[in-house]
Amino acid sequence: MNVQEIISSGLLELYAADIATDAERQQVEIWRQQYPEVAAELSAIELGLENYATANAVPPAANVKDKLFAQINTAAAPVVNINTQPAKVVAFNGWKWAAAASIALLIGSAFFNYSLYNKVENATAKLTEAEQQLNVAKLEADAMKNDIEVVKQGLQVSLKGQPQMPDAKAKIYWMTGNGDVMVDASNLPDAPAGKQYQFWAIVDGVPVEGGLIITNDKGKKFRMQKMKSFGRAEAFAISLEKEGGNPTPTEVVSVGAVTKI
Amino acid sequence: MAVTEKYTEEELVLQLQNRSQQAFSYLYDNYAGALNGVIVRLVDDAALAEDVLQEAFLKIWNNFSSYDASKGRLFTWMVNITRNLTIDTLRSKGYKKQQKISADENSVSNYTDGTGKDKFDALGIKNQLVNLKPEQRSIIDMAYFGGFTQEEISKQTGVPLGTVKTRMRTAILELRKLIT
Repeated sequence: MNVQEIISSGLLELYAADIATDAERQQVEIWRQQYPEVAAELSAIELGLENYATANAVPPAANVKDKLFAQINTAAAPVVNINTQPAKVVAFNGWKWAAAASIALLIGSAFFNYSLYNKVENATAKLTEAEQQLNVAKLEADAMKNDIEVVKQGLQVSLKGQPQMPDAKAKIYWMTGNGDVMVDASNLPDAPAGKQYQFWAIVDGVPVEGGLIITNDKGKKFRMQKMKSFGRAEAFAISLEKEGGNPTPTEVVSVGAVTKI
Repeated sequence: MAVTEKYTEEELVLQLQNRSQQAFSYLYDNYAGALNGVIVRLVDDAALAEDVLQEAFLKIWNNFSSYDASKGRLFTWMVNITRNLTIDTLRSKGYKKQQKISADENSVSNYTDGTGKDKFDALGIKNQLVNLKPEQRSIIDMAYFGGFTQEEISKQTGVPLGTVKTRMRTAILELRKLIT
């Protein structure tokens, strides 16, 4: 088609009136770019239709312009279609965010509570542990205080190792008030397997059984231990006996005489 | 209608591209009537017609950056937006195209407002339009105001597709003569 044929085809009018098919529209757009005469003709056609619309103009209601400008000056100025789709979308998003936010808050709160609970549990456990340690320390302190009293008040007798066991040393604290005898066995070597130390008091030249000495119980050294009480004695001795002890000493390993007060 | 008072069309477009509300106000003052004419030809409900007009101008304002002057006149772009919005709105409300724009040539030429009076005259339509033959006016109204496709116009009027084209051309040639 030459330019004149294009102009007289009627296609430009269809295009201007917006009733051209897609294929026709594309064709006209190519022509318009290609031929200035076509562009000019189209412009004239559009102006003709524009004039027709102007001739058929109906004055709009007076308040429409005010409403329109109020709308475009609204901060958000969303494109509100008559079917209100965007508004719905906005509202829905709001709820979505609100829901997400409250779920996040809930999770945060739950986590916070959980961690608080854990902290309280930890603190309680630590407190109990500390109380137990304090009790142990108190018991130890009491025992030590007791030992100190014994050392302070008791008559000290040093037992010396005999030639066959020179390092069998021990200290005796003899309570003059009540006759209690305390042995500090911490310097005694562990008794050989199957043997046990036995304590004796020499009263009037005769050894009197004073009880078995425990030097090691499950790996724990025994310090002060109470023996039988004696009203009087010239000396104290420790012997090695078979387990369970003997009525009379068989192998005396440590002896100490009571020095006169 | 040509913009002569204050802005040339180029100036107006430039101002609107720069988001000038003053230019938009001018645009409204000069084009709202013509666009409203398209709307009220399709929409009976006055309140709905007002809503559509407001919405059409809002679309024009919000989408102004998509107007391309090399693809046609400003009014052509605006009237296409307005027409499509009007038809979409009616469709969403269950109206049919035929409700107001009759496919019958004669009834269009005798377009009445229900009182027997010619609605064109009732609306103060210029007498210059009398030179437009009824069948020409019918075809322009169906296309320009009714949003009918060529095929629909052909089917409704019983005129062959080719004839729709030529009749459209002669009708518009007549319009180009009538008003300047």
